[in-house]
Amino acid sequence: MRLPQSLLLLAAAGSAVQASSDKPARPRGLGPEFAKFYQDSTTFTCISNPSVKIPFSAVNDDYCDCPDGSDEPGTSACAHISRNSPLTVADRPGNSDLDTALALPGFYCKNKGHRPSYVPFQRINDGICDYEECCDGSDEWARVGGTKCEDRCKEIGKQWRKQEEQNQKSMTTALRKKKELLVDAGRQKQEIEDHIAVLEAEVQGAELKEQNLEADLKLAQEQDSKVVRTGKGKGKVSALSNLAKGRVDELRNALIDVRHQRDEAHERVKELEDILAKFKVEYNPNFNDEGVKRAVRSYEDYAARDQGTEGANGVLDRDLDEIAKTDGEDSGINWEHWENEEDGCNDSDLVYKLAAYLPPSLVSFIEDKVISVKGFLEEKGILPKAGEESSSESKAVTQARDALKAAQDSVTSLKNKLRDQRADLEQDYGPNSIFRALRGVCITQDAGEYTYEHCFLDSTKQNQRKGGNSVSMGKFSNVGTTSVEEVNTAGEVVNVEKMTIEYNRGQSCWNGPNRSTKVILECGEENKILKTAEEEKCVYSMLVTSPAACAGGEEAGNGAPRSKDEL
Amino acid sequence: MARSLPAPRWAMLLSLLILLGCIVVPGLAVKHKDFKTCEQSGFCKRNRAYADNASSQGISWSSPYELDPATIHFTDGVLTGVIYKTTTANEKVRLPLTVSFLESGAARIVVDEEKRMKGDIAMRHGSQANKKRYDETEKWAIVGGLEVSKSATLNAQTETGFTNILYGPGDKFQAIVRHAPFGVEFQRDGETHVQLNHQGFLNMEHWRPKVDDKDGESGEDESTWWEETFGGNTDSKPRGPESVALDITFPGYNHVFGIPEHADSLSLKETRGGSGNHENPYRLYNSDVFEYELESPMTLYGAIPLMQAHRKNSTVGVFWLNAAETWIDIVKSTASSNPLALGARPKTDTQTHWISESGQIDLFVFLGPSPNDISKTYGELTGYTQLPQQFAIGYHQCRWNYVTDEDVKEVNAKFDKYQIPYDVIWLDLEYTDDRKYFTWDSLTFPDPKGMQQKLDETERKLVVLIDPHIKNADKYFVSEELRSKKLAVLNKDGEIYDGWCWPGSSNWVDCFNPAAQAWWATLHKFDKFKGSLQNLFIWNDMNEPSVFNGPDMTMPKDNLHYGNWEHRDIHNVNGLTLLDATYKAMLERKKGEVRRPFILTRSYYSGAQRVSAMWTGDNQATWEHLGASLPMVLTNGIAGFPFAGADVGGFFHNPDKDLLTRWYQTGIWYPFFRAHAHIDTRRREPYLISEPQRSYIAQAIRLRYQLMPAWYTAFHEASVNGTPIVRPQYYMFPEDEQGFATDDQLYLGSTGLLVKPVVQQNTYTADVYISDDEKYYDYFDFTVYQGAGKKHTVPAPEEKVPVLIQGGHIIPRKDRPRRSTGLMRWDPYTLVVTLDKNSEAEGTLYVDDGETFDYERGAYIHRRFNYRESVLSSEDIGTKGPKTAEYLKTMAGVTVERVVIVDPPAEWKTKNSVTVIEDGAKSASTASLAFYEQEGSKASYVVVKNPNVSIGKAWRIEF
Repeated sequence: MRLPQSLLLLAAAGSAVQASSDKPARPRGLGPEFAKFYQDSTTFTCISNPSVKIPFSAVNDDYCDCPDGSDEPGTSACAHISRNSPLTVADRPGNSDLDTALALPGFYCKNKGHRPSYVPFQRINDGICDYEECCDGSDEWARVGGTKCEDRCKEIGKQWRKQEEQNQKSMTTALRKKKELLVDAGRQKQEIEDHIAVLEAEVQGAELKEQNLEADLKLAQEQDSKVVRTGKGKGKVSALSNLAKGRVDELRNALIDVRHQRDEAHERVKELEDILAKFKVEYNPNFNDEGVKRAVRSYEDYAARDQGTEGANGVLDRDLDEIAKTDGEDSGINWEHWENEEDGCNDSDLVYKLAAYLPPSLVSFIEDKVISVKGFLEEKGILPKAGEESSSESKAVTQARDALKAAQDSVTSLKNKLRDQRADLEQDYGPNSIFRALRGVCITQDAGEYTYEHCFLDSTKQNQRKGGNSVSMGKFSNVGTTSVEEVNTAGEVVNVEKMTIEYNRGQSCWNGPNRSTKVILECGEENKILKTAEEEKCVYSMLVTSPAACAGGEEAGNGAPRSKDEL
Repeated sequence: MARSLPAPRWAMLLSLLILLGCIVVPGLAVKHKDFKTCEQSGFCKRNRAYADNASSQGISWSSPYELDPATIHFTDGVLTGVIYKTTTANEKVRLPLTVSFLESGAARIVVDEEKRMKGDIAMRHGSQANKKRYDETEKWAIVGGLEVSKSATLNAQTETGFTNILYGPGDKFQAIVRHAPFGVEFQRDGETHVQLNHQGFLNMEHWRPKVDDKDGESGEDESTWWEETFGGNTDSKPRGPESVALDITFPGYNHVFGIPEHADSLSLKETRGGSGNHENPYRLYNSDVFEYELESPMTLYGAIPLMQAHRKNSTVGVFWLNAAETWIDIVKSTASSNPLALGARPKTDTQTHWISESGQIDLFVFLGPSPNDISKTYGELTGYTQLPQQFAIGYHQCRWNYVTDEDVKEVNAKFDKYQIPYDVIWLDLEYTDDRKYFTWDSLTFPDPKGMQQKLDETERKLVVLIDPHIKNADKYFVSEELRSKKLAVLNKDGEIYDGWCWPGSSNWVDCFNPAAQAWWATLHKFDKFKGSLQNLFIWNDMNEPSVFNGPDMTMPKDNLHYGNWEHRDIHNVNGLTLLDATYKAMLERKKGEVRRPFILTRSYYSGAQRVSAMWTGDNQATWEHLGASLPMVLTNGIAGFPFAGADVGGFFHNPDKDLLTRWYQTGIWYPFFRAHAHIDTRRREPYLISEPQRSYIAQAIRLRYQLMPAWYTAFHEASVNGTPIVRPQYYMFPEDEQGFATDDQLYLGSTGLLVKPVVQQNTYTADVYISDDEKYYDYFDFTVYQGAGKKHTVPAPEEKVPVLIQGGHIIPRKDRPRRSTGLMRWDPYTLVVTLDKNSEAEGTLYVDDGETFDYERGAYIHRRFNYRESVLSSEDIGTKGPKTAEYLKTMAGVTVERVVIVDPPAEWKTKNSVTVIEDGAKSASTASLAFYEQEGSKASYVVVKNPNVSIGKAWRIEF
C-alpha cells in the first residue's frame, strides 16, 4: 500500500514554500529541488548530459539547447524531448543517440496560497489556463494570443484545504472502519475455528453411532433370515397377472409421461426454431457479429436437415394413443380374465399367452422403445433409477437399515460441513482476512443504461435500468493484485500495485467468453463503485473504494487475531 | 417408478445451442448475391451485348447515329444539332446535341431525347415519374466553370462530313465532329487524345411503348426491358429501357485512373476478363457493401465519374455527368507494331465503355496536358475542397461506441495524461435515444453540454452521427415533422417510403426538395438539437442511402424524389444532397456565428469535396486492407475529392499491435486521419497499447501534428486549385513511365515529402521508388538516397515510417507537442531546408485562424520561402483584404525558432552566425549557426538558432 498521493504532495509543499522564501529567484518554472544546478551565472551544464555546456543566457531563452531539456525549465521549447516524439537528428544536434528523457518533471507552479505543483511542459504558453495544476496562472506567462490567467490560488487553495481536511477526516474514518472490519474479520475467523472444533467432535460422535447401528442391522438381518415367508396369491397365474398388470401400468404411465415430456420438448424446440427463423430474417448483417452470422448459417443448415420426421411421428402417435388407453375389454389386456384364471399352464405358456393378448405394437414398444427411452432418461438423470431391490423384508430389518442410513447421512453431512469450514479457513480473504468482514456486502452504481452491482466475494451483476433484466458479470474467484498504470507530469508511465477481487464464470456472451469482472480496490471511506468499464467484449473492470483497501490500521487493530497462515 | 421428474428443458436448449455453435466458422466475404454483376443488370448486359455485336462485325459495323448537317449551328462557342438514331424498325429518333466549348478549355457534349424532353411519352403502370431524362445532376455537382469560350471558332479547313472547332488556350485544341456515324475526336496540338464513338458503341435507348406480343419480331432481347427482379425486389421500370452508353477511346494511353470508389489499384485494370483482369466492369452505384473485398471493380459507397488517362507527358480526362447506375468497361488494345519501324514501340489504346441506366449523355472532355490541369479544370466545374477547420486535419478518435458522456471525458483525459495529441472524439449511433437522431440517450448521455464544454477546454471537438433515415415513430418530433411536412422520399405509388435501417422502420428525408433542406437546417440549430454546442460537428453516414431490406442494400429504383424523379435517375447524387443540406445547416447554427462546417460522409458524388470529408467505409483489420487504403486515398485525391482517409486500425476485427502501429504510421498520411473500430472489437485507443508500440504510435501521431503547417498549406492548395493533398507518383513525375502504376507511396502536397508506409507484416525495410536524380534525404537522420528510375531500400524498423525529403524544398513545421491543433496556434515554426542540384530550395506556407471564413476577407498569411545564393527569404504571396492587417497583428508574436539546412556547402563549417534582416526592423541582427557533420551516407546539416523572424513578415536570412 502506498501513502495517498495527496499526503506526499502536502509534505513536499511544506518544504518547497520554505525553500523558496529565502533564496534568490530561481529561473522561471524551476522546482526548488533543482536550484542547485542553476547556481553558476555564466555557464549552464545540462543536468543529465554534463558534457553539454551552454552560456547561462541560453537558459529559458525559449530555445531547446540541452539534450535533456534542462535549459528550458520555464518554456515549452524542450517539450518535444520525449519518447512520444518523432525526433530527428537536428532536434538534439550531435546528441541524438542519447536517451530521450527530460531532466525536469515539468514546469514548477509556485501556487502561493495553495500547494506547488508541476505542470507538463507541453502545456506552457499554449493559451490554456491549466488551473488544476497551476492555480497561479504562471503557466501562461507569455500571454500568447492575449491569454490572461488570473491567480486563483486563494480560492482554489481554500477549497483544496477544505477538501483536504475532509479527506483527512474521511481517511480517519476509513481507518476506523478498517479496524472494525479487521476485528469483525478476526471474530468471524475465530467463529469458524470454533465451529471446526465443534464439528470435529460431532463427527467423532456420529461415526461411533454409525458403527453401533451397523451392528444392529446385522443382528436384525440374521434373525429375519430364519423366518419363512409365503406368497399370498391364489395361484401362479394370478400372481403373475398381478405383477404383469402392475408392470404394464407402470410402463404405460411412464410412456404417457415420457410422451408428455417429448411433446413439451417439441413445443420448446418449435418455439426456439420460430425464434431462430425470425432472427434469421431480421438480423442485421451490418452488425457483423461473427456469432450472429455463424448462428444464422448453422440454423440454415439445421433447418435444411430437419425434414421428413413428421409422417413417422403420426404413425407413432397413433400407436402410442392405443397403448395409452386404459386396459379393459375393448383395448389392451383384459386383466379380469387373467386374474380369475386358475393355474392351467406353465410359466412360459403364460408369458406367451400374455403376449398374445397384447397388441403387437405394445410388445415391441415396451421392449424396445420405452425401455430404451427410460434407460436413456435414467442415464441422463432425468428419471430416478428404479430401486435396486424390492423384495420384502421384516420391519425390524427395515428400521435398522433406515437408522443406519440416517446415521451415515449425518456423518457425511457433518464431514461436508467440516470440509467447507476448513476450506473457508484456507481461502484467501486478503491481508488479515479483511474481506471476510465484507463478504456478501453489496454496493451498486447507476451508470448509463445499467445499474452495476458488486457483492463482495460473491458476485458482480449488470442490471438493466430499463426493463430490469439482470446479467451475471461473474462469481467470486479470488483476491489478488494488479498493476495499474499512472502517468506523472513528465508523461512517464509508472506502474502502481493495487488490490483486486476477481469474478469469473458469469453469464456467457453471445459468441464471447463468460463474463468476468476485475474489481480494483482503492482506499476510501465508503464501499463504493466509482466506475465500471467493459475493457473488451464481456471483460469488465470495476473501480471500487473501500476502507479495506486503505493502508495501515493493522497493528492498532485492537488485537486483531492473527493466525499462522496469514500473509 | 413411473413418476417422472420434470424434464429439464435446458437440456434440450443446450443441445440445440451446442448444435448451432459447433459449425465451422466460414471465411469473411462480401455477400455477392446482394450486389449485381453486369450480367444481372439488364442495361449493362444489353450494352455489353451491343458492344460485342459491334466489335464482332468489325469494320462492317455502322453506328446508327448520324448528325444531320442541316441542323448544325455554331454560335458563341456552342455547337447545336440533331442526331438521328435509326432504329431496327427503321424509324428515326431525334436526339438533340449540344457541344459547348468552355473558357476553361473543357468541352461539354450533351445528347438528349426530344420526345422525352417534350414529355411526349406514355408512362406504364400509371406512374407519376418525370417523363424527361434527368437533367439536374449539374444542379448538385456543378458550381462554375461553364463560361463559354468566346474565342472558339469553326475551323474553315474542314473536310466534308465533318465540323471542326478550334478552341482552348491559344486555339491549340480542336474538336473534330464526324457527322455520320456521329463521333467526335479531340485533338491537342494536332494530335488526337480522346475519341467518342470511335468503336460505335454509342447507344441511347429511346422511349418506346410496350408491345406485348411482338416477341422475337424485332430480333432484340426484351427480357430486361420492362421489369427486373433482384434480391426479392421487382423494379417496375415505368419508362422501359432508357440506358445511355458511349465508348471513349484514349489513343496511345496505357493508363487510366480515377472513377472512385473501388477497392482496387490506382491504375485501373481491364474489365473484360483475362489474366489479372476483372470480369465485370467498374460499377458506380453507391452501396453499403458489407465487408467489401479488395482488388475488385465492385461498387462501393461513393461515385465520381471522372477518369484521367495518362501517358508520358500527357494527361487528359473525361467526366461523365450522370447520376444513375453506371458501369465502365476498360479494354487496353495494343496494335501490333510495325516491324519496319525500327525502335517504335507498340502503341496501346485504352478503350472505355460508359454505360448508365438512364439520364442524358452529358460528358466533359479535358485535354490537359498535365494532371494539374485536369484537377484545376474539374475543380472549376465541381468546386474545390472546402478549406477545413484546422482541427479537422488533426487526429480523430472514433469508436462504435463511446458509451457514456463520462466515458468520453475519460478518453479525453487519458490522451492528455499520456501526452498524445488528438482533436476530435466521435460518437457513433448509440448516443441517441433509441436511434432517433437529434436526441440523446438520457441515461448514457445525461449531460452532453458538460461533455462538450470539457472538450472545448482544450479546443477539442465532438462529432456525432446523423443519418438520413428517420425512425418511423410517433412522438418523435423529427419523424412527425418529416411526415406532416411531406418531406420524405416516396415509393412508386406516391406514398411515404418505409424501409429498414438502424432504427428499424424508417423514412428518408428527401434533400432534393428545397423545403426539406430548409427544414433540415432548422433541426441543427442549437435550440432544436438540444444539447449541441458550437464544437459539435456532423457525420453523415448511410447516405447511399443504405436500406437493409432494399435491392443492392438501397432504395427501390422506382421510388420517387422531389420533382417526381425516379430514384434510378438520381441515386448516385443522393448522398450529396444530404451533405449539401447539412453543410447549409452547419454554416450558421446561431445567428451571427458563421463557422466552416465539418461533415464526414460515406456516400458522395462529384461536388461532395466542397462540403465534406470522406472515408473508405467499413474496412477490416487486415494487412491487405491497410495496403488497399493507399490506392483508394490516392484515387480520391486525383478525382477531386482529396479529403479522404480509411479507418485506422480497420473497422472490423481486432488488429494486433504490429498492424495497429503500421496503420497509424500509414494513417498519419491520410488527409483525413481517424481511428475507428466496430462495437465488438477490443478498445484500442493509442494509450491502451503496451510499450514499445504505444510510443511508436504516439510518435506517428505527433509527426502528423509536427507537420500540421505543411498539411494545412496542402489543404489550402487543394482549396484553390484542386490539387490532391497526397499525390501519386505519376502526378509528380508525369514523364516517368516507370512510376505510372506506382500506388504504394505518396507525396504530401508540394512539400517534397515522399512517404512509403510499411503495409506488410514483419517487414522492416521499404523500397522507395525515386523518379528523378535529385538527392532525397531521410526525414529523421538525413541519409542520402539518389538515383533516378529505381528503388532505394530504406530501413523501416517498427518505430519508423519511411519518409524522404526531395532536395529543393522548404518544409514548415511546428515541433512543440501540444494537446490539440488549436493549442499550437501560437507556437514558433521550424523550417527544414533541403537544397536541390542548383543549391536552391522553395516552399510555401498558408496560415489562417483555422475556424472562420475571415480568410475570404484577407485574414491569412501566405508566404513563399526561397533559398537562393545563400539567402533564405520569405515573400508574401497573399492578396490583402480588409481583415489582413488585423490578422497579421494577432500573429506578430509567432516566429521562426529554428532553421535546419540539410546538406549545406562544406565551407559553412567555419560559419557560426547568420545575418537576419526583417522587414521594418531598424537594423540587421545576427543569429547563431552551428554546423553538424555526420558520418557515412548521412548528410551534414546546419541549425540556425532563434532567427526570431515573424512568420507574417518579409525577411531575409543571409548565410
